[in-house]
Amino acid sequence: MNANTFPRGPMVAITVLRVLVGWHFLYEGIAKLSAPAWSAADYLRQSRGPFSGAFRWLASQPDLLANADLITMWGLTAVGLLLILGLFTRWASIAGIGFILLFYLCNPPFVGYFYSIPSEGSYLVVNKNLVELAALLVIFTVNSGRFAGLDRILGALVARRPPLAGVPS
Amino acid sequence: MAAENEHGKPPGGAGGPRKLDRREVLAGLSTVPALGLFGYAWQKQRHYQRARADAAVTPAATGDVQEINVALLGAGAQGQVLVDAMLRIPGLRFRAVCDVWAEYNLRRVVNSLTRFGHEPNGYEDYREMLDKESELDAVVIATPDFWHAQHTVDCLKAGKHVYCEKEMSNTLEGARRMVLAARETGKLLQIGHQRRSNPRYLHCYDKLLGEAKLLGRIVTVNGQWNRAVAPDLGAPSRYAIPEARLRHYGFKDMAQFRNWRWYRGLGGGPIVDLGSHQIDIYTWFLGANPSGVMASGGLLYHDPATHEWYDTVMAVYDYDTPAGPVKAYYQTQTTNGSQGYFENFMGDQGTLLISESEVNYAGQLYRDPNAPAWDRWIQEGYITAPRIQEARALEDGAVADVRESVSPDQHTVPVVLRDPYHQPHLQNFFDAVRGTGTLNCPPEVGYESAVSVLKVNDAIEAKSRLAFTADDFHV
Repeated sequence: MNANTFPRGPMVAITVLRVLVGWHFLYEGIAKLSAPAWSAADYLRQSRGPFSGAFRWLASQPDLLANADLITMWGLTAVGLLLILGLFTRWASIAGIGFILLFYLCNPPFVGYFYSIPSEGSYLVVNKNLVELAALLVIFTVNSGRFAGLDRILGALVARRPPLAGVPS
Repeated sequence: MAAENEHGKPPGGAGGPRKLDRREVLAGLSTVPALGLFGYAWQKQRHYQRARADAAVTPAATGDVQEINVALLGAGAQGQVLVDAMLRIPGLRFRAVCDVWAEYNLRRVVNSLTRFGHEPNGYEDYREMLDKESELDAVVIATPDFWHAQHTVDCLKAGKHVYCEKEMSNTLEGARRMVLAARETGKLLQIGHQRRSNPRYLHCYDKLLGEAKLLGRIVTVNGQWNRAVAPDLGAPSRYAIPEARLRHYGFKDMAQFRNWRWYRGLGGGPIVDLGSHQIDIYTWFLGANPSGVMASGGLLYHDPATHEWYDTVMAVYDYDTPAGPVKAYYQTQTTNGSQGYFENFMGDQGTLLISESEVNYAGQLYRDPNAPAWDRWIQEGYITAPRIQEARALEDGAVADVRESVSPDQHTVPVVLRDPYHQPHLQNFFDAVRGTGTLNCPPEVGYESAVSVLKVNDAIEAKSRLAFTADDFHV
């Protein structure tokens, strides 16, 4: 299954999905970049679940935390841009999945966990992070940028040229 | 219908020479407009945020408001809090910011002020700032406690009015120098006990305690500031201050610089950081300085290698007020944040539970059942109508003891502060600079508070009750 063979209707829908996910990533990144002193420290310190020790440890390491903050801010922005443009779509999808997986595992809505962080919905195991992760999985699988996105142009430009006449292959 | 190009071949395949046809270009660029739409939405959002910020900050000085040139000395977390409040006060012009952490604090606050239309010059050395910024009218100081005296005295002597954060100084000798410098120079010095300008506290002091005397005779006071365990503050190594500069300004390393409040000789620990605000209210509302204090405290939880001051303190003050003796308890601890912070004044007719917070304990009054009716004060709008606290149904069948006290009616103080907590006190300072008001916390008052608070640490060391004399509070 890929962008070249999948029916047009679903591909249009997946393209819309990709742009919306990209929009969300882009604004999450830009909002953090434009905040005066954004840091993931508080989010990491409230971590729950099996990996909470690692996340809290990260919050206690100023150098690592500063790098994590930078990677998060710029990473989200870059992933968002690439998804909207459909450029390097598969790499952007993988990076996006990585970010969201970390966000999900930092504060997972597992059975028996009760968060004091304000939440806009009610979740049991599945939250919107996980749904967005699944969306990125679809985008990655069908390589949606090859249908509608700069990947389509890039693919055409860098496609393998036919061997020149007389030159042994 | 498959997503193929018009030639029926998949784009980007390896089946032959690839020609970038029009359809492929259009498909490739089809989502670019979404980026334009995003940019448009983002600009609208920024304009909206900017308009909201502009509506809240820095109304320019109009014809009848004298513009004040101001500098911030100490651009850390507390300095930022003060800047945020000052940005909402009309007629202030930031001319300079000074902080020894030029790599981070200084840059952050200068950039932040620039975004709001100010053009402050940045300095690492406050003496250089005082030399070059001759047009300054006032300096707002939010440096570590052990620098307050030197900074304040030098600014006053340079002819500037000063707003200095509490604690006035970490030593009484330093606080005394500040009082004397203010007197000698004739310049204004406001100490940052901001509750003294908070409209709810002023309402309680003037109306409820002063005019209506709703509590009757106050006999006991209790208060607290409980704070949950928090990790030490850190700093990325790329923003670290060079060691020579750290030592020049009195810090042994970056960790001590970031966590100076915990170190002897630099700060006074939680009882000074937190208790100072509230013990000042005890004195203000009771109308007397304490006559003695006993205290117990210790470093019960934190690592002594990085925390020198007591993380837990419990103190009892004696007050001999004009109305009679009062016992006042205060505790601060940094291992559990339950019930947060408040002051609770208990008289023979009622109780006042108050805090600076607009969310918790924002002014509750309890009228004892035998006290005179408060109807007049409700009609005057001094307090709200009572909310009767009905006996709780005991669903599990338990029986309440017949000696249970009747629950007092609960009223609230109908005064809400919709500005940042420090804004009224800063406004009071700048009003005084303009000559349109008088200071709510002049240095003599700040000194009295410093005497009361710093004595707690002495009492813990002494393990006995320490007495105050009237002379202790005078400079």
